[in-house]
This record gives sequence, C-alpha cells and structure tokens, in this order.
Amino acid sequence: MSILIQSFLNGICSGSIYGLIALSLSLLFGVMKIINFAHGAFLMMAMYFTLWICRYLGLHPLLTLLIVPPSMFAVGYLTQRFLIKSIYEKETAREPIGVLIFTTGLWIFLDSLFLLFAGPDAQVIKHGYVNQTLVLGDFIFSYTQIFGLLFSVLVGFAFFLFLKKTKTGRAIRATGQDREAASVIGVNSYRIYDISFGIGMAILGAAGALLLPLYSVYPFVGDVFGMRAFVIVVLGGMGSLSGAFWGGLIIGLIESVGAQFLPATFTEALILIIFLIILYFKPSGLFGLESE
Amino acid sequence: MPPPLPREKSMSPRTEWIRGIIILVVLSLLPLIFQNPYTMSILILLFLYAYFALSWNILGGIAGQLSLGHSAYVGIGAYTSTVLFLQWGISPWIGMIVGAIFAAFAAILIGFPCFKLRGAYFSLATLAAAMILQIIVENTNNLLGGPRGLEITLLKDAPWQFQYTNKLFYYVIVVLLFFSVIGVTRWILHSRIGYYLNAIKNDQEAAQSLGVNLTRYKSIAAAISAIFTAIGGTFYAQFVLYINPEKIIGTNLSIQLAVMCIIGGRGTILGPILGAVLLVVSAELLHLYMGGKMIGLDIMLYGIILMTVIRFEPQGIYVLIRKFFNRFTRSTSPFRDGRSS
Repeated sequence: MSILIQSFLNGICSGSIYGLIALSLSLLFGVMKIINFAHGAFLMMAMYFTLWICRYLGLHPLLTLLIVPPSMFAVGYLTQRFLIKSIYEKETAREPIGVLIFTTGLWIFLDSLFLLFAGPDAQVIKHGYVNQTLVLGDFIFSYTQIFGLLFSVLVGFAFFLFLKKTKTGRAIRATGQDREAASVIGVNSYRIYDISFGIGMAILGAAGALLLPLYSVYPFVGDVFGMRAFVIVVLGGMGSLSGAFWGGLIIGLIESVGAQFLPATFTEALILIIFLIILYFKPSGLFGLESE
Repeated sequence: MPPPLPREKSMSPRTEWIRGIIILVVLSLLPLIFQNPYTMSILILLFLYAYFALSWNILGGIAGQLSLGHSAYVGIGAYTSTVLFLQWGISPWIGMIVGAIFAAFAAILIGFPCFKLRGAYFSLATLAAAMILQIIVENTNNLLGGPRGLEITLLKDAPWQFQYTNKLFYYVIVVLLFFSVIGVTRWILHSRIGYYLNAIKNDQEAAQSLGVNLTRYKSIAAAISAIFTAIGGTFYAQFVLYINPEKIIGTNLSIQLAVMCIIGGRGTILGPILGAVLLVVSAELLHLYMGGKMIGLDIMLYGIILMTVIRFEPQGIYVLIRKFFNRFTRSTSPFRDGRSS
C-alpha cells in the first residue's frame, strides 16, 4: 500500500512539471490559435541550456531558474517576431495550418541540430543536490522532486496573477478572446503575440530547468514530453490554462501509478490511447468549454 | 483561404500521346544509365518515395488533412506481408493485398474520431496512432520480432514470392505502382469525390452546410491513401528484405513523407514527385560526401527546406515554378488566364 501512495506522490511531483509544459503550449494555442509542434524541441533546448549552465558555470541547478527562463523568453520572442509572424500574416484561416507546418520544420531542425552539436548520448547533471533525499516516515522524496513541485506551482500561480492583474496580462487575455475586438480598443495584437510566445517559452524554460535533474537530456527527449504535452492540453481542453495544469497532474499520476502495474513502454501507449479516446468522446476536453 | 492554384493547360489527345511515349522511352532508358546496383537502388528508392509522397498527397494534399502518422500504414503493409510469409509461407503478393485491406480499416478507425474536428486534431491523432503501433510492435517479440525487426528469408529468384536477384524487376514493379497512384490521383481530381474533397479543404464548415458528408469523404480519401501506402510498405520489405519498427513505423518516416509532399506542392501531381526527388537526391548527396560523419544532417536539411518553402511559398515549389512560367506567358499573350483588369 505504501508503494502505491509513494507512486501517487511521485506522480503529483512530476505531473506538476508536465502541467507547466502543457500550460505554455495551451497559452500559445489560446492566444494565437497556433499548434506549436516545436514545443518538445524547445523544451529539449531549455534542458540543454540548464545542463550547460550547471556544467560550465558550476551553478546550483535551482539557480538556473533565474537564467534559463529569461533566455528562453528571448528565444521565443525572436522566433515569433522574425519567423512565425510573417507566416501568420499571410493566413486568414482560424487555425493557421502554415504555422503548424512551419513549427514541424522547426521541430526536426532543432532535434537534428542538437544531435549534431550535443551528440546522441543521454546526459545528466552531476551535482550533490540531485542525489539528496528527504525521508518522511515510510516515504522517500528527492529534493529535486519537492522543489520541482514547489516551483512549478509557484510559476503557474505567478503566471495566473500576471494574467489577472497586469495590463499586459489583460491584453493577452483580450486578444485570446477576440482579436478584432481587442485591436479596436487599441491592443497591438502582433506585439501581444510576440510577448505571449516569449512568456510561453519562459514557462517552458522553467519546466525544463526543473525537469532536467529528474531525467537525463538527449536530442529527442522533447519528442516524448512534447507529445505528452499535447495529450495533456487536449485532456484539459484546448486553450484552457487551468485545465492544462490539472491535466498534467492526471497524466503524471497515470504514468507513475501505471508503472506499478505495467511495463514503462505500455504506460506510454496507455497515455496515447487515453488521448485518442478523449478525442473521440469529448474533444473539448475534460475541463474545456463546450463551445469549442 | 489559400488562393486557387493556377490552372493546368488542358492538352489535346495528340500531345498527351506524344508526352506519354516520351515518358516511356525515358523510363526504359533510365535503367541502362544506372546499371550499377548502387545507383539502381537509389533510382528504385526515388520512385518509391515519389510513390509514397503521392499516396500521402491523396489525404494530405487533395483532402487537406495533414497526416503525421502515415508510417503506420507503411508498417501495416510491410509487417502483414512479412508475417504471413514467415509464419505460414503465404506469398507476399497476397500479403500485400491483405496488408492494404488492414491499412484501409486502420485509416478509417484512426480518422473516424477526428474527421468531424478541424486541422490540428487530426495531425495529433495520426501521430499518436503511429506511436502506439510502434510501441506494440516493439513489445511483441515472438510474432513481430520486437525492436530488432524481422528478416525475410532469402530465396534468390522466386517471382511468386516477390523476390528477384535482378534489380530491374523491382524497378519495373515500382514504376507500375508509381503510375497506378498517378492514375488514381487524376481520377480523384476529376471526379465528384475530388470536388467534394477540394471543398472540404477550402472551407470545411461551408462544405458541410452545402451537404457534403465530411466523415464519409474524408474516410474515402484516408482509405485510398492508406491502401497505396501499405502496398509501398510491402514493396519496401521485399526490396530491402529487412524491416524494423524504428525505421518503418517511426515518426521520422511519417514526417519525411509529409515533408516531401508539402515542399513539392500539396494537391498537385507533379509537386510530390518534385519534392521526393529533391529530398532523396539531397540526402543521398549528403551521405556520399559526408559519409557517416554527421548523423541527422539530412533531417536538418529537410527542416530547413520545409521552413523556407512555407515562409516564401506555402503552396510548394511546384506552384512557385508554375507562377514563374505563367508570368512569361502572361506577358506574351495577355488573354490567357486572368487578363489584367
């Protein structure tokens, strides 16, 4: 029984980080209506940034949270401003298919770029912090898990506050709800897109920095987590930000509790099958609005 | 909505005949030029990839449903014929037909949940379905060979078992397959189904409100596309005599097929062929000059080409070329399509 509870708690820890990954994907969809197929690749990039900062600057893994998200913000902002924007402008459809194709190109480009320069091997952080554990009665937690949970909840909460309280946050929400109406009241929608993409990538950067100590990084690591993020976003409802967070917890739980009963690869298949079932019966997601 | 493609010139039956004869002569001369086995293999793979790209085009181009899971059908075709052959000694020719039927059912099954939905859901569902299939195959060690794959017993010359020592036979078969998919594509483009699919591609809601049954016509397109792709899968298995899940069902192959068609020109016939030639030739040249030194460089190149094409001409290279030539014809004869108003 205690093994089951332990795996349940593990699931919540990793699920909260998944939630963060899905949150950023859902933000891009909610505001810009684009499906970012390069999402996993950007996560992989953030994980490599974290690895390199730890290895070459010798920083504590948690301190990378101060460096990786801002640099990912820059990456996202520039990608949207100089690459995606011009494709977006050409399209008038509600869900731009050209951007979908473009991000697919970006995905395979980034994957093979990192394969070329970082090599195919899985790499881990070597730091004392990674192996520290906390024993609470019958249960054992690693510090990386605990801080992963803590900081992903903090980042998620800070992001919600930002959306609710700041002027930029309100402009982002307005653009997501109705782009034309927002521009009528003076919101420059392309500027909002640049910022949203940057913020989405910054959140992803935080997720990458929290995820790396728990896993290893290799050029195709993003494929696994990217697909999982899509599953979570559909589970929680496309564009629903709180749904993304809850969806992340659910997938984290399925993964770790499922691993007690099934081989790991079948857990992966199970998650994908749940995804297809949700698409079939409730494409608006478990927490989504009925209107989509 | 994307602008309508510039129309193809309709040819008189006589010019069509002449063109056909020229193509036949060229195709029968090609094996003479590429006599050594290595170049011959590349020529065969070139036709096979063009065939795959054209098969993808039926669903992804004509019907506008961007599938990112077509490797699943390649896998179904290859594994069905191979397993039937290895387990029960059934000829791969029969296995090819069985695999095609399985693939058609799979395509309808996969597509059914999301045919009512728009764009991206379909891409995601097909991606997920192919991943599920890959996981299943990798974990079925006895029947499907697990992650190591299956080897097909070498029989030397056995025409009824789809094995030949002379590569020329494979060449003839792949060229026939290639023309059959072109024939079907042309038939679809000029039939009622083609018009419905075009309407669905341009505006799904509008097509539905005019009474086009979305699920039905998308299912037809998906099934035809899957049938051709699966047949290509069997051909690949018999040509290489070895299949494994990573190479044949993996996400990379799905993306490759989609990329070929997209950069060439979705919904056209010459576009996917052009895309396949461009990608296969550039990948082979990279292998030739780089050797095994830089793994992934070809995939990186695909990514760059894809992004560049989408950035400058979302309709693909073929449309770009046609626009270029139309500019000349327009300047000489002002009464051809779209006189300046």
